[in-house]
Amino acid sequence: MKKIIAIALAAVMILGLAACGSKPAAPAAAKQKLIVGFDAEFPPFGFIAEDGSYDGFDLAMAAKVCEKLGWDFEAVPIDWNSKDAELSAGNINCIWNGFTYTGRENDYTWSDPYVDNSIVMVVKADSGIKSFADLAGKTVMAQAGSSAIDGLAENAELSASLKKVIELADYNTGFMELKQGTVDAVAADLGVATYQIASNSGEYVILDEPVSTEQYAVGFLKGNTELRDAVNAALLELAADGTMLTVAQDYVDDGLVIESLCLIK
Amino acid sequence: MTVQTMIMLVAKSFPMTLAIFVLTLLGSLPLGLLVYFGRASRFKPLSKIVRGYISIMRGTPLILQLMVVFYAPSLLLHINVPNNWRFAAVIIAFIINYAAYFCEIYRGGIESMPVGQYEAAAVLGYTKAQTFIRIILPQVIKRVLPSVTNEVITLVKDTSLASIIGTVEMFTRAKQIAVAPHSPGMLTFVVAAVFYYIFNYVMAFIMERIEKKLSYYR
Repeated sequence: MKKIIAIALAAVMILGLAACGSKPAAPAAAKQKLIVGFDAEFPPFGFIAEDGSYDGFDLAMAAKVCEKLGWDFEAVPIDWNSKDAELSAGNINCIWNGFTYTGRENDYTWSDPYVDNSIVMVVKADSGIKSFADLAGKTVMAQAGSSAIDGLAENAELSASLKKVIELADYNTGFMELKQGTVDAVAADLGVATYQIASNSGEYVILDEPVSTEQYAVGFLKGNTELRDAVNAALLELAADGTMLTVAQDYVDDGLVIESLCLIK
Repeated sequence: MTVQTMIMLVAKSFPMTLAIFVLTLLGSLPLGLLVYFGRASRFKPLSKIVRGYISIMRGTPLILQLMVVFYAPSLLLHINVPNNWRFAAVIIAFIINYAAYFCEIYRGGIESMPVGQYEAAAVLGYTKAQTFIRIILPQVIKRVLPSVTNEVITLVKDTSLASIIGTVEMFTRAKQIAVAPHSPGMLTFVVAAVFYYIFNYVMAFIMERIEKKLSYYR
């Protein structure tokens, strides 16, 4: 028995050590590196692919930018609520993940906006809710720390009529709550809403009236204009030479709305 | 994404959960004993400091301690943290948190030892160190095992807290998979639950075997 336990413990430890050892070695030369912080629960901008790698329109564009500049690229999945701490601590050097520029103009150093987004209200198709007026006394979910919260705050008339705004860490749990009826509506980015509607056919609808409109851009630590200028120039070139459109087409199935890409309009 | 792919993806994140679990135990089980010695020390400043440490560790949420360990060096102290600090911070935070609990478990065990044990050892000419290592500790280990098992099982589930500082362990990975395009959705969480349950079942089984093995006077 002792031996079995010893072997089992040894196996556990080896597995554990193997897991630690799998970190890639640091690059030898000080090659410029773009470390993108993103939310891996935010399709189509950042999500996990079938092979376990991280995928998404924003990550694909970031990889293209690095390819163009000859930089190393690393995508770091972060807790969205901790994005500022991650950025100031230098664990990441940009936030590129459907990151709302509108309303945060002075908090970061920004690239040119590349998506025209609106915050929309998603309700169950059979709920009978047709307009904001019907939402009076209802409970609405929005992602904590997201621009949907800001959008609701701006739309004072709407938010005053609501019973409650529930803030959750991610939209998946929000839509789970919508499905089971513990919230009546979800205020989400157009891309997220489109994706959820596409993957739950006929169950949800988007109200015609947007809660707010806004733009996405790449955010850098305030004052880091050097990095911003390099990335922004590359991004604009990729938009102009058609690469952005080609990349975008791969993500239409995942809920990306090509018409919302304002750099290639 | 097929169900099979989903299960594979969940399984691939298990080593991270396992690594947090194993490294935390390897660090906190011995550290807990060291902390106990500090707490029991007759040198008042030391025991006061250690009491303060235990009080903070047990009195604040582990999720908050994780954030402090991860961010404080760079944001408060302006130290350049190494590339793999994310993982190191998780392990350090878990170890110092669990050591505080283990210290109190050990204390319960050690202080429950009848004074007669010490007296008998003294009569037999054992030194203080010999008494502790040969007489007291073996009995204490037997007594505290059920409480240690409790903590071990709690630790398996606590590993999911590491997600707050961007560590992708099994629960975080399950959340990612559940929202990925064309994924099996909620089923992912069921699979993750099964993984956690099996792991805990195995841990409880191993701990029970160790307990049986140690009950040699029955």
